[in-house]
Amino acid sequence: MTGLGLRRRTLLGAAAAATAAATGGCGRGRRSVQVAVVWAGGELARFREVVAGYPATVQVVGVGNDIDAFLTARRAAGTSPDVAILPRPGLVVEYARRGWLGEVSPAASYAAPAGMGDLLSVDGRRYGVWVKAAHKSLCWHFPSMLAEPPRSWDALVTLTRQLGQRHRAGAGPAPLAIGAADGWVLTDWFENVLAAVAGVDQYEALARGEADWRGRPVAYALDRLAELWSVAGAFPGGGRRALLTQFEESIIQVVHHREAVMVFEADFVDAVVARFRRGDEPLATFRFPGARVADQPLIVGGDAAVAFAGSDGGAELVRWLSDAVAFLPWLDAGGYLSPNLAVPVDSYRDPLRRRLAGELRAADAVQFDLSDQLPGTFTGTDGVGIWRIMQDFFMDVTDGVPARKAVSRATGQLAEAARVAGGGR
Amino acid sequence: MSRGPLLGGLAVLDDVGPPRRGRAYPAAGVGWALLTPAVLLLGGLLAWPVLRTVHASVTTEGRWVGVEHYRAALAAPGTVAVIGRTLLWALLVPTVVTLLGYLLAAASRRSQEGWLVRLILVVPTALPLVVTGMTFRLLYDPDPERGLATRLLTWATGRNPEQLPQLLGPDLVTVAVMSAFVWAWVGLAMLVFRAALDAVPTGLADAVRAFGGSRRDVLWDAQWRPLLLRTVAVVFALVAVGTSRTFDLILVMTPGSVRDEAAVLSLRIWQTSGATTTGEGAALGVVWLVAVTAGMLVVALFVRQAWPPRSSRRQRRDRAATRTDWSGLLAAGAAIAWLLPLGVLVATSSPEPGTGGHRRGGPARRGWTPTGRCSAVPSCGAASASLVLGHVVTAAVLGRAAAAYPLAWLTGPAAQVTGLVLMAAVVVPVQVIAGPLNEVLGLALSSGTARGVALVHIALGVPFAVLVLRNAFADLPADQVRGARIGGRHWWGTLRRLARHNRTALVAVAVLEFVQVWNDLVVGLLFSGPDAAPLGLFLAAQTRGFVAGSGPLAAGCVLASILPVLVFVLARRQVVAGLVAGGVR
Repeated sequence: MTGLGLRRRTLLGAAAAATAAATGGCGRGRRSVQVAVVWAGGELARFREVVAGYPATVQVVGVGNDIDAFLTARRAAGTSPDVAILPRPGLVVEYARRGWLGEVSPAASYAAPAGMGDLLSVDGRRYGVWVKAAHKSLCWHFPSMLAEPPRSWDALVTLTRQLGQRHRAGAGPAPLAIGAADGWVLTDWFENVLAAVAGVDQYEALARGEADWRGRPVAYALDRLAELWSVAGAFPGGGRRALLTQFEESIIQVVHHREAVMVFEADFVDAVVARFRRGDEPLATFRFPGARVADQPLIVGGDAAVAFAGSDGGAELVRWLSDAVAFLPWLDAGGYLSPNLAVPVDSYRDPLRRRLAGELRAADAVQFDLSDQLPGTFTGTDGVGIWRIMQDFFMDVTDGVPARKAVSRATGQLAEAARVAGGGR
Repeated sequence: MSRGPLLGGLAVLDDVGPPRRGRAYPAAGVGWALLTPAVLLLGGLLAWPVLRTVHASVTTEGRWVGVEHYRAALAAPGTVAVIGRTLLWALLVPTVVTLLGYLLAAASRRSQEGWLVRLILVVPTALPLVVTGMTFRLLYDPDPERGLATRLLTWATGRNPEQLPQLLGPDLVTVAVMSAFVWAWVGLAMLVFRAALDAVPTGLADAVRAFGGSRRDVLWDAQWRPLLLRTVAVVFALVAVGTSRTFDLILVMTPGSVRDEAAVLSLRIWQTSGATTTGEGAALGVVWLVAVTAGMLVVALFVRQAWPPRSSRRQRRDRAATRTDWSGLLAAGAAIAWLLPLGVLVATSSPEPGTGGHRRGGPARRGWTPTGRCSAVPSCGAASASLVLGHVVTAAVLGRAAAAYPLAWLTGPAAQVTGLVLMAAVVVPVQVIAGPLNEVLGLALSSGTARGVALVHIALGVPFAVLVLRNAFADLPADQVRGARIGGRHWWGTLRRLARHNRTALVAVAVLEFVQVWNDLVVGLLFSGPDAAPLGLFLAAQTRGFVAGSGPLAAGCVLASILPVLVFVLARRQVVAGLVAGGVR
């Protein structure tokens, strides 16, 4: 299960369920189109609003977290839905290679950021369009606790050392909160650092399974992470405590208890902030610092719509979903980011989203969440795949294992996991 | 009463004799008609998926690969540790539960406040394992503000929480999960032992004493040999099968970073293949299935003996005077220890911070502000989904009385074979057959719907219900059977009359099915979508934001537990009687 899909579903599940006036947007029509989605709660309600605008009846089936199992079973039974919204591009590629999907063509206005569009194509054919995105290169802090955010990785390390020392002396909050109990938080860290130190080519080669995980860029990125994570006093309660801290708790540590100064995660952090912030001070963000001041990594995640082979109305609906108009209900609700560059920046309600949409456009190339592209179990879930490997690595470096040893252990595990996951194909 | 203490179904049939059969038996056609729904369900939703899983374990996309998947699954890092941990669970935990159950049953029988102790201990038995997991996770939370156990440790050792061993950390997490399981199961073990001790004829002990037997001789000759040996086997088997349900506990209690340190086979299978059953996941599943079934059958052979007739329960309570200090202390200590987690749960859910509340306020108590209350809306939806499911499934399973009826008249090898088949079907772990089951549901277009979840529940409940009811029908005293046959004009009239005599078994089956469906997590997890999410799944999904929402979460847990606890506590006698008399023969 992908972190992206899960965390947004959980986040919004509670908050948006209040608006659970979801009265399934399907009536009786001529030929209805069936869509399987991973969303639940508010997101599901929103999507039903979206498809209510479609000319034909659309039957939306929320299938819970394990959409892969649902679709595999339906496929075996010969009752695949017409369209599915998949939480990670790795699945799109897998299904397309098995011949399950039909080719789709997006609306004329549809434009995805460079680096995202190709992910849904296999052998030059396009099998999906992006319908929703997340910006995953943000750090959050209160301006009153951190006046000048670090602008490069080295500045971040220096700052963490200073604050860590102060924290250990009992004179201030810890520099960083981190929800290491959720593996996807750690993979997001890793991906940002990797994108900053490795070129686009190397990053994408790893995603496609063509590069060696024992190679230099991975080791270098892990080395940098070890440098930061091993700082004494970096996390409230220490490393072992951080491994039992979940994503939401890490944000609460910053915005409610003020036990930590900064927390890194994606744009959907603001939903948690809205629920738990103490005081009126607005939270500020800065981009994840890159190796140099000039180049900051930009990692995005997203959900893609695909049409199944042999479906009548599937490709048509997918095409319709790729139109900017289809994103309007999301815009009205606020808190969502469109991967479609045809959605005007001005149409976003909140200033943060407006800025992030601008960043999506300004970037030469965005890089898509690496773990969401990995095949099979390597993609990670609790206790499995890259999530598990990054947690082991975190445990090692915060537990005093020398960085070199921890890095070589982690790269070995990554390479082995990649081999096993890729072995089937 | 026309039957002796150790009569089984055979004797009942012999007593009826051949000449009367025509009138009494359901005709062959009717018998088959009664059996068909159960056979279809079992065949389609259990037998066929099991075969598909076996097939998937030796093939890759239809291609024969022999034992390759098995080799790969066993060679995968951590598999050996997982199997070892599963074995540890299946041996250590039942031993502890059996021992504690016996001691507490003996102790609570002797003390005046025994009923209170028993009541306290029985409550955790009926709690959804999701709630148990949540409770213990709260108890063991590394933050001393939330985790009572951590706070007590800090207080006792005078050390900083950072220096303490973490109860949910990688070293202790298995112990932590086991402690939660023991907490949940001891109550049931105690009830069964108590029923057994009550059933021991007191005259036996007097006879042993009269011949100059010591206390140990009394224990051995008057309790162990006639009854306790079998009871121990029953309890041990029940708990060992129950340990396969640790899945829920591990899923809820362990943060992602230590999940591997706590993983058992059920979890590993789910991790490897999710709800699709392929390759290595299928291979592990088959290994597990074979082990569980073999273990169950061995135990079944051990305990194939009838329970003494219910009438012998009359003679009890004449020894309440022999109260000893240790038993009183033990009972009181257990009651306090068992109340503690419940107290933590209720305190966390309460709007007022009690002594163990949240001094930091804020997030933990937000459940009662307008923001937090929104989580109550879906929880109501999930609760009603569970309620509907519970009713549907209970009704459907009770309908299985119809299938149990013709089976009860089987004799000899046929009866034994049906018994063993049903027994094996009872213990099929649903994770093992999730993929093929989903395929079958997909055929009926019910995957991800409430209908699909109900179908799975019904199919999983059938073997147990039929087993218990079959044995109950077969156990009916001959005079009752004769009376029903003479009174009932048609086979259904006979069935109705017989069912009336079987009220205990019917109640036991209904209550157990209801509680199981209400408390379910795994079926919901594998087969439902958000439109049909049952309560357990809803609560489990909230654990991702465990800290952020511990207040409303605990409140949801308390609400979710009220109904099953009430039902179970009220019907505990029938449940135990039904379990011991029917479930394990």
